[in-house]
Amino acid sequence: VLALQTIADGLVLGGLYALAAVGFSLIFGVMGVVNLSHGALVMIGAYLAWFLWQMTGIDPLLAIPPIMVVLFVTGYAYQRLLIQLAVDRSSLLTSLLVTFGVALMLRNTLVLVFSPDLRSITPAYAGRPLAVGGIVFDPVRVAALAASLVLLWALASVLRRTRVGRVIRATAQHELAARLCGVNALHVYGMTFGVSAAFAGASGAILGIVLPFSPPDEALWTLNAFVVVVLGGIGSPAGALLGGLLLGLISTGTSHLIGPAFPNAMMFLILVAMLLLRPAGLLGNAFAGSR
Amino acid sequence: MIAAAIRQYRHWILATLLLLVVLAFLPFLVAPFYVRVAQLVLLSAALALAWTLLGGFAGYWSFGHTAFIGLGAFAAGLFETNLMRGAPLSGLGAGLVVGSALCAVVAALVAWPILRLRGIYFAVAMLGVAQVLAELNNNIDAFNLSLGLVLPRIAAFGLRPEAVFYYLLLIATFLTLLIAFAVKTSRTGYGLVALREDEDTARMLGVPTERFKIAMFILSAAITGAIGVIYAHSLGYITTGSVYRTDFSLNMIVYNLLGGMGTLVGPLIGSLVMVVLTQVVLGRLLSIHMLITGALLVLLVLLAPNGLVGIWQRRSAQ
Repeated sequence: VLALQTIADGLVLGGLYALAAVGFSLIFGVMGVVNLSHGALVMIGAYLAWFLWQMTGIDPLLAIPPIMVVLFVTGYAYQRLLIQLAVDRSSLLTSLLVTFGVALMLRNTLVLVFSPDLRSITPAYAGRPLAVGGIVFDPVRVAALAASLVLLWALASVLRRTRVGRVIRATAQHELAARLCGVNALHVYGMTFGVSAAFAGASGAILGIVLPFSPPDEALWTLNAFVVVVLGGIGSPAGALLGGLLLGLISTGTSHLIGPAFPNAMMFLILVAMLLLRPAGLLGNAFAGSR
Repeated sequence: MIAAAIRQYRHWILATLLLLVVLAFLPFLVAPFYVRVAQLVLLSAALALAWTLLGGFAGYWSFGHTAFIGLGAFAAGLFETNLMRGAPLSGLGAGLVVGSALCAVVAALVAWPILRLRGIYFAVAMLGVAQVLAELNNNIDAFNLSLGLVLPRIAAFGLRPEAVFYYLLLIATFLTLLIAFAVKTSRTGYGLVALREDEDTARMLGVPTERFKIAMFILSAAITGAIGVIYAHSLGYITTGSVYRTDFSLNMIVYNLLGGMGTLVGPLIGSLVMVVLTQVVLGRLLSIHMLITGALLVLLVLLAPNGLVGIWQRRSAQ
């Protein structure tokens, strides 16, 4: 029963990891940019949800659409005004420094605006656990997992079926060919970044009801996103889902079997091992830059 | 080759020696606070130079070089507190050897798998290595390192402690500069330039890229480890958090970028400007320190992608 409980907890956490990572994965796949400020965008989503909940009592899950809109606009502007400039002026590698600088600025701003204290959001349906066959399900966590899965499915359908999705996939496959077919690549990059930021914000809102959070957590969420992407594979929601669920299982499994201090070390060991053995991830195509 | 290089760069060498003479008298001329700042500049410069052996020359940007600071610091600390009690100065000497040797061994072990990765993947794998080592350092009970380690006090020639570490770091920076100069002007140095510009072509033309980059990785790690040992002693008491610091790894890159990637003057100028700016000018603005550092990083990449040396070169070319 304990093992089953561990697996159930791992899956809930994994759904959240997957949603937090999917945007990071999309940017990495389409532009080759590693966005070190991704975790900061997740935290912005969490703080926006917290703020709305404090001010108006809106449930964080209902606050997701407006948060996604705000972050989409922010993400679009961020890419067009800053990241594209940096990539043009020097190299893809320096985008690491730019996004890291932005992450520092955002973290500091969040501390100034919301204070460095731990925050958490407790919706009305919190704290009424359901027991099914000896395994305890917290309704908050079930809602979080369901919301994560719905959003991931929505993104997958957008990418697969809509015109925007098709253009984004085309640019990811071959930028030059896509441009020759009349795609405005810069606009597509901005859109991709906007979508990525929107999903980061949504995962932040969900994160708020599951875990307590504070501004320095952004670094952790960026790293989580990276591990998820490396595990699952670049650029696809399915890869992010697989990677996220695996990471959730690994981290709850490690703290259950080896010790509560070791999930991070285990996570990085797996990260390095995956980079070496199968840099394309479990699902996903080999990508040129790795070797 | 070295003789020709010395003739070619004789103005630079003369300037360096003059600067060294001036710096040797600095602790007697300025207030202790500024000796502290100078010590920090030298620490940063030495680290940035050690990093550039691999990152600047070979183009392999490590995002986890703080692994070697931590490894060197704790290896030397354990060695000195357990085996060399009562002889702090010779202990420091032995600690330097032990620390850098362990870093060289660890670098040699991880070099072969990790240096097969390129670009962002290498950068992130090194970040992972640093994190794993830090976590292990904190969580393996055999050495009880999570409580931290108190190192023997170093005192010499009746100097104030900040002056002692100032001189140690001055020597370390100068030696690292010498090593970097020797590498850059050697056959290996030219091979590394070829490797950085296009690794596959260099390999095709007969440059032993694998051997060169592994050698640079080990050399860079050993020097970083030795600097880590000195840094640990200057702190006196070390914990995982105070030597395995991600901001060290990032700062090594920032100093190089600000000064000029792949040059020898670059890391020196970069650390001078950045340390003076963040410690002296922004020292009083603690609550928005990160905000300003982040903004500086962004501006730096946008305005001076080739560093201050790059601006100067463009000026003199016109």
